[in-house]
Amino acid sequence: MYRLALNMLFGDRAKLAMLLCGLAFSALLMAQQSSVFFGIMSWTYTPMVNIRAQVWVSDPMVEQVNDAKPLRDTDLGRVRSVDGVAWAAPLHTSFVQARMQDGNFKLITLVGIDADTFAGAPAVLSQGRIEDLRLPDTVIVDEWGAALMGRMSVGPDGKPKNTPLQVGDTFEINDIQARIVGICRVKRAFTGGPFVYTTYDRAKGYTLGARRTLSFMLVEPQKGVAPAELCDRIERDTDLKAWTSDTVIWSWGERSLARNTFWWFWTNTGIPFSFGTAVLLGLFVGIAISGQTFYSFVLENLKYFAAIKAMGAGMGVIARMLFVQAFTAGLIGFGLGAGMAQAIGRVMIEKGMPPFVMYPQILWATFALVLGISFVSAVIGIIKVSRVDAASVFRG
Amino acid sequence: MSHPAHTVAFRATGVDMFFGTPENRVVALKQADFEARRGELIMLVGPSGCGKTTLLSVIAGTLTPQAGTVEVFGQRLDGLGQEALTTFRRRSLGFVFQSFNLIPTLTVVENVMVPLLIQGRPFDEAHARALAILDKVGLKGREEGRPNALSGGQQQRVAIARALVHEPPLLICDEPTSALDKDTGAQIMQMVRDLSRSPERCVVVVTHDHRIFRFADRIAEMEDGRISRVVDDPKLLDTTHL
Ligand SMILES: Nc1ncnc2c1ncn2[C@@H]1O[C@H](COP(=O)(O)OP(=O)(O)O)[C@@H](O)[C@H]1O
Ligand SMILES: [Mg+2]
Repeated sequence: MYRLALNMLFGDRAKLAMLLCGLAFSALLMAQQSSVFFGIMSWTYTPMVNIRAQVWVSDPMVEQVNDAKPLRDTDLGRVRSVDGVAWAAPLHTSFVQARMQDGNFKLITLVGIDADTFAGAPAVLSQGRIEDLRLPDTVIVDEWGAALMGRMSVGPDGKPKNTPLQVGDTFEINDIQARIVGICRVKRAFTGGPFVYTTYDRAKGYTLGARRTLSFMLVEPQKGVAPAELCDRIERDTDLKAWTSDTVIWSWGERSLARNTFWWFWTNTGIPFSFGTAVLLGLFVGIAISGQTFYSFVLENLKYFAAIKAMGAGMGVIARMLFVQAFTAGLIGFGLGAGMAQAIGRVMIEKGMPPFVMYPQILWATFALVLGISFVSAVIGIIKVSRVDAASVFRG
Repeated sequence: MSHPAHTVAFRATGVDMFFGTPENRVVALKQADFEARRGELIMLVGPSGCGKTTLLSVIAGTLTPQAGTVEVFGQRLDGLGQEALTTFRRRSLGFVFQSFNLIPTLTVVENVMVPLLIQGRPFDEAHARALAILDKVGLKGREEGRPNALSGGQQQRVAIARALVHEPPLLICDEPTSALDKDTGAQIMQMVRDLSRSPERCVVVVTHDHRIFRFADRIAEMEDGRISRVVDDPKLLDTTHL
């Protein structure tokens, strides 16, 4: 009978296509919307991605990466003396205004890295060399920032034209010149504008009067020492807080600064709510569409299930037939939808817009939702068939 | 006729069946008595709304009457649970409906296989038996097509094949020819008669098509929810009101 149940499902290609489109579309919508949501949320811990280090050390009051509480310069020495530390480098981060040559101001994230080790340097430079940061008054800006801070002019066709900043261009931070020696490719941040890298010492100069400029310390564990283990040691030997740099936000450990940042934004800002409503809307539309297409499929076949019931099929057999149909359609629909979401995601990741983070958990959750919808539709169908009077098949 | 229990196919006695609420009640069957024997083709005739379909449903165990007893092949249906009734239908009944009730998304042969698969027969056996009976109803070559590609008469032949493929001892046909033209209807009845004839089987045909009365061994006439009389010869019936 299950083979016939499948043949019933596949028998009408047009209706099957409708059903699968509905399921696939809703799976796509759910997976895509959630991925964009987590993509946007992942911007909250962008510094963790752009500034690469295995262990971060901060003031004990720090809750998330965008809110640094300055450390004393002497703390660096205390951390360096902790057993298991290979090296520790200073890091400055702050949000400052940069003045463009046309006089406009732009908010930037100023990142000062250690000039000896370049610990925390961007992973990819599309132009220039990191070593040139040792030259006077030099900075490296990210591609997004280069475009954002670019020069507007009128092109030969009369339309406004943006010329991104190039290596050699200059701007000012607190009246001090910043000369671009490199363009890097980094992840965008939710707060603080484009990333501008310079050396730690020069960052002190750019932020003028700031009494303390040590925001974080970047620490490399010695070979064979696990980052989480080193964090424990640092916290035991100093009164500072130490964090790992992993960006898996799903586990409940306290060690990951990215995870803490994510959940800090989750609980302390309206951001998850405002973007979450869009996701919920996507989920809702997805559930409605797939539930509706499935339900109409069940309704159309109700008459035939009633006939099968009159001919002596028990409700157990009919229930299993409906489940076979529902789960088969659900599986195929999910497969198509998830495949499309992956494909679209690949394009989005390439473009970087909108941000897109498709955790495996999103796919599992979408899978569970689609199967849940299939399950509920099948149960509704089963209830309908069980209510339908077998005698009704005698009527026209 | 050594054993009377073998000769009676079913017997309904004093059956009452109402529909609707107590205030707004429709009486479909009122003290109806109806009996048929194995080996015969009995027709149930009467004006529209007199309760023919309801009586068939009661005998098929798809409706439970408010009063009276129904016995089919020696088994009392009252008191059987839903599951036992389902098993009874699966084993003992074949149905031919006025509106065919073929599943449009299945092929012709798959439709015919349904009763066997419901019984839990292996797919291949069901397939072979369905092909054999489709051959008998003259649909060789149409097995893999869809029912909707067939004419009304051909669809009803598929339905007959489906009703008989599992060789049920009781075949129930509700107005099998009323959706068909005169000649096709006669052909269908001829086929029902030829194929279903067996000393063990009882065939009940509900109809108000007097042109097919001649295929009956006996004709039961129904009026206002009860059988008014049973005759052996259609000429004895007053057909003016049908
Ligand atoms: N499910 C039902 N609900 C309410 N009334 C019904 C139902 N089934 C049949 N009836 C009524 O019972 C009477 C007998 O119906 P039916 O057995 O279908 O007659 P026939 O088959 O002889 O035309 C009719 O008055 C009909 O309206
Ligand atoms: Mg009727």
